[in-house]
Amino acid sequence: MSGQTFSGASRYVLDAELAQIVNVSMALEMPLLLKGEPGTGKTMLAYAITESLGMPLLTLNVKSSMKLIEALYQYDTLTRLNDSRFGDSKRDISDIEAYIKMGKIGQAFVADRRTVLLIDEIDKADTDFQDDMLDVLDQMEFDIIEIDKTIRARHRPVIIITSNAKKDLSDPFLGRCNFHHIAFPDPKMMRKIIDVHFPGMSGSLADNAIEAFYRLRQLDGIEKRPATRELINWIRALQTDPDFNPKRLLKEDLPFLGVLFKKSQDFEQATRVSQRRGRF
Amino acid sequence: MCHSAGGAFRDNDMFIDFFYQLRDHGVPVSPTAFLTLHKALARGLVNSLEDFYTVSRGILVKSERYFDLYDQVFAHFFEGAVLPEAEGLAIDEMARTMLEQWLQNPKELADALGIDENALKRFTPEELIEYFKERLKDQTERHDGGNRWIGTGGTSPVGHSGHHPGGMRVGGESRNHSAVKVAMERRYKDYSLEGPLNPSMIGEALKRLRHLRPAGPKDKVNVDKSIYQTMKNAGEIEIVFDSSLKDRLKVILAIDNGGWSMDPYIPVVQTLFDYSRAQFKEVKTFFFHNTIYETVWADASRYKKPTTLNELARRDPDTRLILIGDASMAPYELMSQDGSIYITDRSGRPSIACLHFLAKTFRKSVWLNPVQKARWPYTRTIGTIGQIFPMFELTIDGLEKAVAHLTAA
Repeated sequence: MSGQTFSGASRYVLDAELAQIVNVSMALEMPLLLKGEPGTGKTMLAYAITESLGMPLLTLNVKSSMKLIEALYQYDTLTRLNDSRFGDSKRDISDIEAYIKMGKIGQAFVADRRTVLLIDEIDKADTDFQDDMLDVLDQMEFDIIEIDKTIRARHRPVIIITSNAKKDLSDPFLGRCNFHHIAFPDPKMMRKIIDVHFPGMSGSLADNAIEAFYRLRQLDGIEKRPATRELINWIRALQTDPDFNPKRLLKEDLPFLGVLFKKSQDFEQATRVSQRRGRF
Repeated sequence: MCHSAGGAFRDNDMFIDFFYQLRDHGVPVSPTAFLTLHKALARGLVNSLEDFYTVSRGILVKSERYFDLYDQVFAHFFEGAVLPEAEGLAIDEMARTMLEQWLQNPKELADALGIDENALKRFTPEELIEYFKERLKDQTERHDGGNRWIGTGGTSPVGHSGHHPGGMRVGGESRNHSAVKVAMERRYKDYSLEGPLNPSMIGEALKRLRHLRPAGPKDKVNVDKSIYQTMKNAGEIEIVFDSSLKDRLKVILAIDNGGWSMDPYIPVVQTLFDYSRAQFKEVKTFFFHNTIYETVWADASRYKKPTTLNELARRDPDTRLILIGDASMAPYELMSQDGSIYITDRSGRPSIACLHFLAKTFRKSVWLNPVQKARWPYTRTIGTIGQIFPMFELTIDGLEKAVAHLTAA
């Protein structure tokens, strides 16, 4: 530990609890598992840590078909075959190591400084992948079979793992991580987030938009509730009209609902409610 | 807490107490996580009760579904009302749990204790327990030496005589509430286990049922196998083809949609139904009232499209059968040879025989019951049907168990 601690970055509004868990996880050298509704800033947090600690960020976007080896390294046989046939590269064909390319975890291990390793949406992969990956992250080393070489982490990366899943990950997995759940921000917090994203915006627009936003989130029967990202885009859309009067928002006169609701049923539902109220 | 002398060791006791309170209230905290928490405390990462609230939750509690319980236990515990507990017993109990975990995963425990896995293997169970107790005492002594686990400026806000930590705020964090107040707000109530089953949870649970299998013509090159075979042939190229993966899982959903007894559960069943249609390629839905006789219906009004059980039995026996119903009815409906409340349904075979027939035809079947499990013993037919089909509660937990049952080989 170089004694660095994390206190928040310019574009990310951090609550004190979260900052503390990040710090403790860094000190204990344990991965931090972040769960929360989409749009609560799980991925953004890794960016923020990177920014405030001045460490480079490596992102592993987990896909359902992904094999662990892809996250570690890849042996580029195709290039080697090509080189052996046409021989127009400077690489030494007999040196297999020249054809080993590091995956994201591999890159974090061989980096010459401490990095932030973001493993995004771990829930997409199957349980075996998750457990095997934590084995690697536990031991901080893996083998490259092709060249019989062990890669050890030079600097233990700060590991942030995100998950959207409502269901829990496996017990061995959870046992090795610290856990934090990012609750959806309350209106006060949201106001801060909006201020960070729109410095110098008129106060009444922010207030009214946030108020309308939380009201819309409460609607019954909405399948995909709008999140922070949608609110920011919505405000951006509202701002395009310089003559827009923020008071309209209080009268349920809500333009650009399509920015907030992306499922057609949700959109219809929201439109219906907004029109119905508008008449009274 | 009213311990004035030997406060340090009492502190230790108190953490064990806290750990046990969490366990007793159903928060699944593991001894390994508890030791990790000790590590954090020993390193001085925790300097106030607020810190303790956040850090111990981050380390001990691994799902937001238990955050609410954690909050409740925390508030109860640090309000000052602490249940007395014999200290020796607490440690023994703790050690026993740890032992169980050690048997399951020696490496994890070795890491947590900071000793070599092989060294750990040489311990007898008794030795391990002793070692563990020694370790706890170590921690205590270190605590005595001035490195306080909890507390700033010389007073330990936790477990000090007569001190009431509930209202305390330590440290410069600009939070408006004390940890106990935060805990008492119960911000995580919505995430707790008893919460309603919402669409995304159902989707999540059902997703696990999907599984891909090779099917159709072998038209896809298997690169790995091709390379392997080619190498085996010493360079003579051999290309191996596979069928591509397809989701071939077939599901039959049979829903009890009749009668007032199922009415309260319509929304949740509806959601389940919608999601299973979205999840599976091949899902057939049928309806019945209370229980199944010779016929089920493909239309919700149970009128237009009858399907006999024999027709149903001609389907792939690997089809997963999911029945949803409260399984609550008059016993004769199930047992009597002409128990059906519909005269046209009376075939001479009692419903219970039909159910047995279905269970035998489709080896992988479950019955999902929206009635709370605690109330099952009060209805006789629930018990009877539960003997025929594995029955699960229609909650997120029950659904996960049902899915696990359906996917098991």
